[in-house]
Amino acid sequence: MNAPPSPSHLSSGQAARPPRPGPVRDVVAVVLVAVPLGLALLGPLVAGAAPERTQPFLPDAGWLGSDFVGRDVWRQVLLGGWSIIATALCATVLAYLVGAPIGLAAAMTRRRWVDEALLRPLDILLALPSLLLMLLLASIAPPTAWTVVGIVALINLPDVARIVRAGALEVARRTSVEAMWLQGESRVAIAVVFIGRAVLRTLAADAGVRVVGAFYLVAAASFLGVGTGPDTSDWAVMVDVNRDGIFLTPWGVLVPAMLLVALSMGLNLLFDRLLSRRRHEEHTL
Amino acid sequence: MWRYAARRVGFGGIQILAVALLAFALVEALPGDAAVALAADDPDPRTIARIRERMGLDQPVTVRFWEWLTGLFRADLGTSLVSGRPVTDILAAALAPTLTLAAIALALLLPLAVGLGVLAALREGGAVDRAITSASVSLYSVPEFALAIVLVAVFALQLGWLPPTAVGVSSLLAQPAVLVLPLVVLLARPICSISRLVRAGMIEALGSDYVEHAHRLGLSGRRVRYAHALPNALAPAAAQISRTTDWLLGGVVVEAVFVIPGLGTELVNAVAARDIPVIQGLALLFAMTTVAVNLAADLVAFRLAPRTEVVA
Repeated sequence: MNAPPSPSHLSSGQAARPPRPGPVRDVVAVVLVAVPLGLALLGPLVAGAAPERTQPFLPDAGWLGSDFVGRDVWRQVLLGGWSIIATALCATVLAYLVGAPIGLAAAMTRRRWVDEALLRPLDILLALPSLLLMLLLASIAPPTAWTVVGIVALINLPDVARIVRAGALEVARRTSVEAMWLQGESRVAIAVVFIGRAVLRTLAADAGVRVVGAFYLVAAASFLGVGTGPDTSDWAVMVDVNRDGIFLTPWGVLVPAMLLVALSMGLNLLFDRLLSRRRHEEHTL
Repeated sequence: MWRYAARRVGFGGIQILAVALLAFALVEALPGDAAVALAADDPDPRTIARIRERMGLDQPVTVRFWEWLTGLFRADLGTSLVSGRPVTDILAAALAPTLTLAAIALALLLPLAVGLGVLAALREGGAVDRAITSASVSLYSVPEFALAIVLVAVFALQLGWLPPTAVGVSSLLAQPAVLVLPLVVLLARPICSISRLVRAGMIEALGSDYVEHAHRLGLSGRRVRYAHALPNALAPAAAQISRTTDWLLGGVVVEAVFVIPGLGTELVNAVAARDIPVIQGLALLFAMTTVAVNLAADLVAFRLAPRTEVVA
């Protein structure tokens, strides 16, 4: 059942490994990540005070024109990156904090019904497309950034629990764990110290895919207006609100859209690179 | 096969029931008086009374749930809080554009994804393989709306080859040009994930003992590749279609960007207006579609390679 959550997990065995990425691809990946990430992290520091508002969608205002309420587009670009990235990271961390104990508990238990009770509800959750789940929950939750963190974490919960469970099951059946049981080590000690440490490797491999997935969901949520108040202005919101002016000031839409595309493409390439290097090391060891 | 199918259908039924329960629970989860919460922007006593009456909020929970559940079997999903139209009418009106888009996307998805995957596998390690693999790695999980805007800027605004949105188009099929960009955006994600799986499966199958055996029996290379290796490579891909159902809903974002009046647009509008009956109806419809597609894909995967039982 444990279907891979994304194709980068699949490559089973040596034969099916992707071709080794060349140096050109590495450079492209680093540039694609560095530009948006740099803007997102350093942007708020250099944005400075807000200049006076001009008319909406004015192409000559500032470097990139003005947005739908006459704000400087370049300043909005500088300010609008970090919240998406921070939200995606928080959601990923939260998913691990809640999902890992569930997966560990399901793997450690000797009672089948506990395993079933922990994971079956998650299966039902998995059956729903994540955007639908997000819109459903958003229709009743208050529109804050924390709502989005919670929803995205919840959507990732089933996958995280399953991956941890699968990784832990393998370790939990080793003879060394049996020996610890017999020596009277407490269940929690075994789970946290021994199995938890072994599972960390699995999680590290999964984390990249998870972050990119969270970034995708957070951006989509922002674009659809989930968790955004009237004053929120991140790159995804910019794409949404400035769309009407695309004929007058295309940069107000295009720059944030390109930054989002570049960041997710770059992250995909970079994490794929890390994964393939790890696989390579595992094969040569 | 039949035992597996029966168990799988049973699980699908439970899933749909769970979604029905969840959709119903949405109203219960609203803080305080649901009618007041739903009328948030317009706290006029008359509005509140109207909402309360339309949703039957003055009755006990159990009665309402029973009414709602039996209503489902009579195809009665209640009426919209905003327009007062029956929810089934709203869904029926929005169905055509979404189905058109989904049907064409599905018809293109399999040949393209399988074709690219097989092509990459046959040229393993070569320039073609590198290009296909890099593209499928990098484009996977790029947010659809951002990709859409970049494509619109290039192909609609700069080059002027294609219309930027479907605004003012009476029927999608009458002007197929409006469908090109939405389809490209809708297909980007699933093609990436499925073609990678087909590639991996194909390479593994081509290196396996049974393919070697088939070669030794003197079968032609083409026959070995397409009649023996390919079906085994397709099984994980079929299972993946069932796992990544997200793309079905990727349509929501695509419809929003290209202003296509389908189910996705209705969902976004309903969520923005907190039109709970419409949200409930759409959630149920999407869940039923998802479960049906999952079921079909799992059964196909099982048929292709019976050893990969997908749901225990």
